[in-house]
Amino acid sequence: MRPADWYVLVGAIVFVVVYGMWRSRGSGTVNKYLLAGKTMPWYAMALSIMATQASAITFISTPGQSYVDGMRFVQFYFGLPLAMVILSVTAVPIFHRARVYTAYEYLEQRFNAKTRALVSGIFLLQRGLAIGIALCAPAIVLSVILGWPEHITILLIGLVAVLYTSLRGVKGVMWTQFPYMFIMTLGLLVALGTALWRLPQGMGLADAVTVAGAAGRVNPVVFHFNWNDRYNFWSGLVGGMFLALAYFGCDQSQVQRYLTGKSIAQSRLSLLFNGVAKIPMQFFILLIGVVVFAFYTFEKPPILFKSNDLQRIQTSAAEYAPIAQRYDAAFERRKKAARQVVAARRQGDGQARAQSAAAYRQAQRDLEDARGAAIRLAAKPGPGNDSNNAFLTFVNHYFPAGLASKITGVGFNDTNYVFLSFVIRYLPAGVVGLMLAMIFGAAMVSISSEMNSLATVTIIDLYQRHVRRQASDGHYLAAARVATLFWGAYAVVAAGLAKNLGSLIETVNLVGSLFYGGLLGVFVLAFFFKRVAGNAAFAGVIAGEAAIFAAAIFTNISFLWYNVIGCVVVVSTALVLSPIESNQGARRQS
Amino acid sequence: MSALRNDRHQDIPEEPPPFGGTWPRLYAAVLAFLAALILLFRAFQWAFAP
Repeated sequence: MRPADWYVLVGAIVFVVVYGMWRSRGSGTVNKYLLAGKTMPWYAMALSIMATQASAITFISTPGQSYVDGMRFVQFYFGLPLAMVILSVTAVPIFHRARVYTAYEYLEQRFNAKTRALVSGIFLLQRGLAIGIALCAPAIVLSVILGWPEHITILLIGLVAVLYTSLRGVKGVMWTQFPYMFIMTLGLLVALGTALWRLPQGMGLADAVTVAGAAGRVNPVVFHFNWNDRYNFWSGLVGGMFLALAYFGCDQSQVQRYLTGKSIAQSRLSLLFNGVAKIPMQFFILLIGVVVFAFYTFEKPPILFKSNDLQRIQTSAAEYAPIAQRYDAAFERRKKAARQVVAARRQGDGQARAQSAAAYRQAQRDLEDARGAAIRLAAKPGPGNDSNNAFLTFVNHYFPAGLASKITGVGFNDTNYVFLSFVIRYLPAGVVGLMLAMIFGAAMVSISSEMNSLATVTIIDLYQRHVRRQASDGHYLAAARVATLFWGAYAVVAAGLAKNLGSLIETVNLVGSLFYGGLLGVFVLAFFFKRVAGNAAFAGVIAGEAAIFAAAIFTNISFLWYNVIGCVVVVSTALVLSPIESNQGARRQS
Repeated sequence: MSALRNDRHQDIPEEPPPFGGTWPRLYAAVLAFLAALILLFRAFQWAFAP
């Protein structure tokens, strides 16, 4: 880190926090602390919704995802605009008219207290798991760049987020997210610009995309259907829509954003803006990964992007030397073929382009084979292999094998380090600081939303409902602040355990998908099946969650489909049980 | 009642969107944008396919 990087990093973070604190003065009542007094304009809610979803994981993991697997990850978001429209028609007016603090409060109005408690519990469990992962990602960044231990960096980010979240509540969270989104946009533009600038002399964006395209990395739309494939058009459109419906319609960390709106219209606009802006933003981030891939076609990438693991196998494994030789030779052949691919494209020579692309792909396969051998070497158990921590041991020991491997990622995974490695090695002074500000800011604003929503559900759905039903506004405000502090501390501990998981962006989506199908199903029942009563809905949620976990443990079905499976099982179970419950009710009345 | 309780189920009037005329028209515009994006991505992929 050079002085210019420190100035930019510290300046950006201080600006974001001070601006947020200043705009959110006067959060002295429970309504203001949890719902901003329902005064937020649509544009602030829209940016807050996007900032809450775009955690640091987005910036760390997504370019790496594009580097190793291409742009097809963007299909994951194809169902999101559909979901935004459906929620604008259904959930937004229903929640506004019910005048609730949380989505789960509505479930008691519609069903009964135990269904509300069950669903609140599922949210706390699911969001509690995710918040650790969201905090862990940027802590890895700080740790890698500064050489500080990860537990110190986790604590540092957690403390800043807890500070303004506990003091200012949802208003502080949202007004902090507002300037951050502008910093993020600037950061993304600068990242793409500098990645292009670092390409060899005379090469531009079209050349970079040509090179990546020849390696199969330019694949944003894949129509081929496969149940086991995570990212194709159909899983993105259908599975992604169900996931987005659940995330934006049933997850308090998002529902709370648009519940702060002045009116139904303002809340709808915020969701529709997200429906329009999200896919281009993700495409842009994936494009950065594609350009980084092209850059590393001409500049030799490290065989492993996790530098400590690379050093370990370099110094301790005798098998490393021949693998490195194979890797170097394949890299040189790939570089030569890539130049021929670019030259053929410029000349418009289709035959030469096809021949050079074939040679390029062969060299790419050889390179990936050598890298695969290095990865297997790094994944071998032994001293210094930090993949053998207590958390992974626990998951692998106590969880069914099918589920454990999905949660932890199979073996060694350095996807999260691809973009970081590029930023640290090749970006100029000041730009590295901006990238870090973007990543730290993303972590702060995203986990602050999560802490805020976890605290809200803890106070409204558990404490106020089941522990202390009658108390003053000041008492609940103080309790909400304490709950925020508790969830901040919890996030710090969970982040320490999550640091060795696989691709973090996949893990966080997978964890969400284990629970979202059940949540979505119960809200579908609440909104559309007026005859279904509380006990049938409660049993439906239990059955839906059982079905999701069965699918995760016993099948290879891609996690996006868990949302569909869970929702369908909840609704169908409740519909089957509903007549039985109605008959019992009628008998009791007679 | 607790300090947290509000009046439930108050009737909140529907407002038209500030642009786009009506809500259904705005929803249609969002979905049309999605379709256009997918077509653009497909064309992008086709242009740079190996």
